[in-house]
Amino acid sequence: MSEDSNPAATPTPCQDIQGDGRWMSLHNRFVSDSKGKEPDVLFVGDSLVQLLHEFEVWRKLFSPLHALNFGVGGDATQHVLWRLMNGELDHISPKVVVLWVGTNNHGHTPGQICGGIMAIINVVHQKLPRAHTLVLGLLPRGKSPNPLRERNASVNAVVQAEVVSLSHVSFLDMDPGFIHSDGSIAHQDMYDYLHLTPQAYQRVCQPLHERIKSLLDKHAP
Amino acid sequence: MSAEENPAAEPAPVIDVQGDGRWMSQHNRFVQECKDAEPDVLFVGDSMVQLMQQNEVWRELFSPLHALNFGIGGDTTCNVLWRLQNGELENIRPRVVVLWVGTNNHEHTADQVAGGILAIAQLLLSRLPKSKIIVLGLLPRGEFPNPLREKNAAVNNLLRASLPQLGPVPFIDLGGSFVHSDGTISSRDMFDFLHLTAGAYRTISTALHELLLQLLEEMPQERRASLV
Repeated sequence: MSEDSNPAATPTPCQDIQGDGRWMSLHNRFVSDSKGKEPDVLFVGDSLVQLLHEFEVWRKLFSPLHALNFGVGGDATQHVLWRLMNGELDHISPKVVVLWVGTNNHGHTPGQICGGIMAIINVVHQKLPRAHTLVLGLLPRGKSPNPLRERNASVNAVVQAEVVSLSHVSFLDMDPGFIHSDGSIAHQDMYDYLHLTPQAYQRVCQPLHERIKSLLDKHAP
Repeated sequence: MSAEENPAAEPAPVIDVQGDGRWMSQHNRFVQECKDAEPDVLFVGDSMVQLMQQNEVWRELFSPLHALNFGIGGDTTCNVLWRLQNGELENIRPRVVVLWVGTNNHEHTADQVAGGILAIAQLLLSRLPKSKIIVLGLLPRGEFPNPLREKNAAVNNLLRASLPQLGPVPFIDLGGSFVHSDGTISSRDMFDFLHLTAGAYRTISTALHELLLQLLEEMPQERRASLV
């Protein structure tokens, strides 16, 4: 699928509809952060990335790995693509880029969303040829079974298949089993059936932390 | 401004456009909580309320007051009004209700937003005549001065002037310390220049907690509530 015909893979900044320019403020801060800091790990994506930074688990597990957090709530693949192509990767050389995005791509098909994720992977590889990109699987959402759960699961399957042959990319399924036997997701895990509670973050971040550490260990000095 | 004239005072549920019905799921959960719980304090509003519960400060300061949290991210005054009229006040008699909503009313003018908040306060007063209603002011937002800061400040001024007409409804502006002398808001206080960091929640919660303790002390109790 060419980038021209896939809106999920067409770099697009967020328009400031509300009037306080917050998206651009965040992007600009990330660009200037990238000038001053030397992260080994870069997290990039949507609110699931952004909110991770606000909980204790970040300080405990990821700050010690010298990680930066470039998450923006509401971002879809085309927004993250634009940000990475417009300065957020320009002055840093992280060894591992953790990418978690796709759940906000409303109106896009799983194929399009995968195309968006692959476009991001390609940009990261162009700008940071020695970095490893760890793509995180989309989580289920909604209290009960619904089309978005199916869509996210499809995205995961397609992305996993696409990256299996790439040595500089790997995929990590982030769902520790949020869906109960009756098909429901508990508000103790997702307080709004989308965003993770601090305890749910603890659960998903243990394996993520392990995987990042092993990727850092493997990275050529 | 009557409800017919003010769109911000029109009760309206959130329509599920994304496809996973999350708003209704949250509303239904709150209605169920009303059947099971006996809160002394009810917090209702948007993400500013909702996210408070995900921070340590909730467990430390507000859970011990037997507080329930009926915040939903993205909610406008219309959505909160609808929720309160459709089950979220059934079977409960909180002694204090904390109302914090209005920053998401993007389609409405400051006048309309203030009118919407007043409509909610009026509803609460009529449904819970023995309870104290506290209205929290809208916080400034955005990294630099911008029209939404002016709008939120205008809403606050309108509320300061008009809430007293409803009776003793305290209006608390917790936003005083967030705008620095150069006009900027720090991401250390608002990680996305809208939502509060843990540190900022701690700052505002201390003041709010003090006020709640005071109000709960002053009020005649129908039954003993244990305050930690």
